[in-house]
Amino acid sequence: MSSSNDAPLSPRSQLALRCFEELLDCAVADVASECHRIARLGLDRSVDAEEEELRVWAARAAAGGDHHHPGGFGVAEEGGAGPGGGSKGGVDVFGQTHPAIAADVIECMNCGRPVVAGRFAPHLEKCMGKGRKARAKNTRSSTAGRTRSSNGIAASSYSPYSNAANTNRVNVPNGVTDGGCGTGGDHSSHVL
Amino acid sequence: MSTPSAPPPCPHLAAHRLSSRPLRFLRRCLRVRPLGRPEIRRDPRELPRCSPCAAASPSPSPRLYACLSCAAVFCPSHAASHASASAGPGHQIAVDVDRAELFCAACGDQVYDPDFDHAVFLAQSSSLLPSTSSTSPSPTPRKRRRVDYRAWAPDPAEFALMSSADPTTSASAAAPAGLRGLNNLGNTCFMNSVLQALLHAPPLRNYFLGDRHNRFLCPRRTPVRHRAAEADATKLACLACDLDEIYSAAFSGERMPYSPAKFLYSWWQHASNLASYEQQDAHEFFISILDHIHENIKDDQHKSHAQGHGDCCIAHRVFSGILRSDVTCTSCGFTSTTFEPCMDISLDLDVGDNTPFGVANTKPHVRNGERGLAGMNSKVSTLMRCLERFTRAERLDAEQKFFCERCGERQESLKQMSIRRLPLVSCFHIKRFEHSAVKKVSRKVDHCLQFPFSLDMAPYLSSSILRSRYGNRIFPAEASDADAVSELSSEFEIFAVITHSGKLEAGHYVTYLRLNNHWYKCDDAWVTRVEEHTVRTSQAYMLFYVQKTLYYKACERAAAV
Repeated sequence: MSSSNDAPLSPRSQLALRCFEELLDCAVADVASECHRIARLGLDRSVDAEEEELRVWAARAAAGGDHHHPGGFGVAEEGGAGPGGGSKGGVDVFGQTHPAIAADVIECMNCGRPVVAGRFAPHLEKCMGKGRKARAKNTRSSTAGRTRSSNGIAASSYSPYSNAANTNRVNVPNGVTDGGCGTGGDHSSHVL
Repeated sequence: MSTPSAPPPCPHLAAHRLSSRPLRFLRRCLRVRPLGRPEIRRDPRELPRCSPCAAASPSPSPRLYACLSCAAVFCPSHAASHASASAGPGHQIAVDVDRAELFCAACGDQVYDPDFDHAVFLAQSSSLLPSTSSTSPSPTPRKRRRVDYRAWAPDPAEFALMSSADPTTSASAAAPAGLRGLNNLGNTCFMNSVLQALLHAPPLRNYFLGDRHNRFLCPRRTPVRHRAAEADATKLACLACDLDEIYSAAFSGERMPYSPAKFLYSWWQHASNLASYEQQDAHEFFISILDHIHENIKDDQHKSHAQGHGDCCIAHRVFSGILRSDVTCTSCGFTSTTFEPCMDISLDLDVGDNTPFGVANTKPHVRNGERGLAGMNSKVSTLMRCLERFTRAERLDAEQKFFCERCGERQESLKQMSIRRLPLVSCFHIKRFEHSAVKKVSRKVDHCLQFPFSLDMAPYLSSSILRSRYGNRIFPAEASDADAVSELSSEFEIFAVITHSGKLEAGHYVTYLRLNNHWYKCDDAWVTRVEEHTVRTSQAYMLFYVQKTLYYKACERAAAV
């Protein structure tokens, strides 16, 4: 390493420079020695595999981005940017379609009322008296007009129900079940 | 990546081994400096010099070798001449004075010998004081009886039997068993995404499908006692029972989406602080339900210290691993070791280290292949780099000085994490959400993360980390410590990826599942089949890997039914 200016260095600067060069050489030799050992003893096989993986990944990511799969049977276009359904206008892997808000009716375990599945969580929140929103029993006026940011379902704002969102436990007869959620699961609120 | 294996010796080294005393006798010439660096012992005031160089110019060379036969010291440029000029054989092998590495002057290259490494290893071990370990929970190195892995493939008769009975291998099946959408109950995609991943975690799936927790027989369901604090004292919620119900529903063969309403209800009964209708963090939910499953079904006899051993409940048996944390005093080299159980590993997304030529960490890895990737977007992180960053030695801040027992005062220290024991299922949580308590802002890190489908965790195990800390010496077989993990159990296969898209406050979780070598996207009620590149280019938030021996890779069905 030579200094950029032409003036001869003072002895002190020369000494400092030699010191630095020696330290640098030492550091480089340390790394070289370790890497040599790792390479010679075969410890870096995983690094080759990793690089290969990265190359494959880059190639496939680039290639895949150019394709546009038509919304055919069960194949989605891109990764999960839109809420509530991968292929617009398509079908899922079983050939089914689903509404933006799950339409199945569930019987609430807390109060026994039938609730639409897609709105079960907000109902349950009020029902159990959890969360910031459920304060007094007459919550209708306090929740009216409040909007929430969309989180995963197409119905963006959380609007109060047209039926009274009361948190009292009402003994509603188990009428509307519509076969439950179309599942074999047991949704009654019985205690086992 | 495996234990280091000695390469065949060069002819000069082989000749030297035959003619001279065994190399392990060099042990008395070795001295170990703090932090485990071996060197050739010398008088403190003695300054080794290369004699030919000293005659030519006074400047000392940084790299010096000492001949094993005559102890003459020379620099690399004069090594060959010493070897050829010396009378008699055996002057070709020398040792690096500062690094304790063997050098063959005739070949002009560094060479390796197991006996010499053994000597260095012994010198290093004797120089270290026994490191302290905290008592809870420090696992004793008990030898677990290991069963050798033997591959098995069905013979034609068995294959025919399986094809006829199993819907997953029959050609008419549209999708693998257990694949079923989950209805969004109102901002519950965080819950659905985690449930999908759990539904297809092989050990957990086998546990529940194997009827190991029967929701009709669970003792917790019986209201044996009333807890006055609970509003509904008669309804004791058991999350494991509700999970059992979800497994039954998912694997029932029914394909209409399932509504995990009961599970939500049970979870809210347990985790009342998280019970609100708003988007939650999927990782927080994951930890929460594992914790509550533990509370529900832990065996009361194994209470106190068994958490680390994973015998207490299925959640720990599947997800719990053990992390090792070493804090080393930089002044004297004294190391304090602690072990702690972990259910997952949270990794920082290292964006800054990703230059095409980056060797930003202290691990001396050979990265010559990266030059080919110079054209790539430099904002790509990889899971393996995140793991390297997790396991590299970090210098602690000057404010966090560690009290060194040997020095008797606070010193600056290095901290290094490694994995003492791998779980059956490794969950990696990528820290994409940064919360600054000071500025009261949170932001999401959007950078893409590359992750492999097959992952070898061997470089991050404690055995590997310790070995590299002491120079990657070739350990003789009898000296390997009880930490050694068999190679087979460090290979993992990915089976689920939870991705987050969108902004911090308004985002969406989606799970990608790998079943029968195909990838399926589970977006709440929508289950679709996707190509690999979709998964590779998604924003991974949580990655689930299972040990390879537990992962059943479906064979290609080209020749099947």
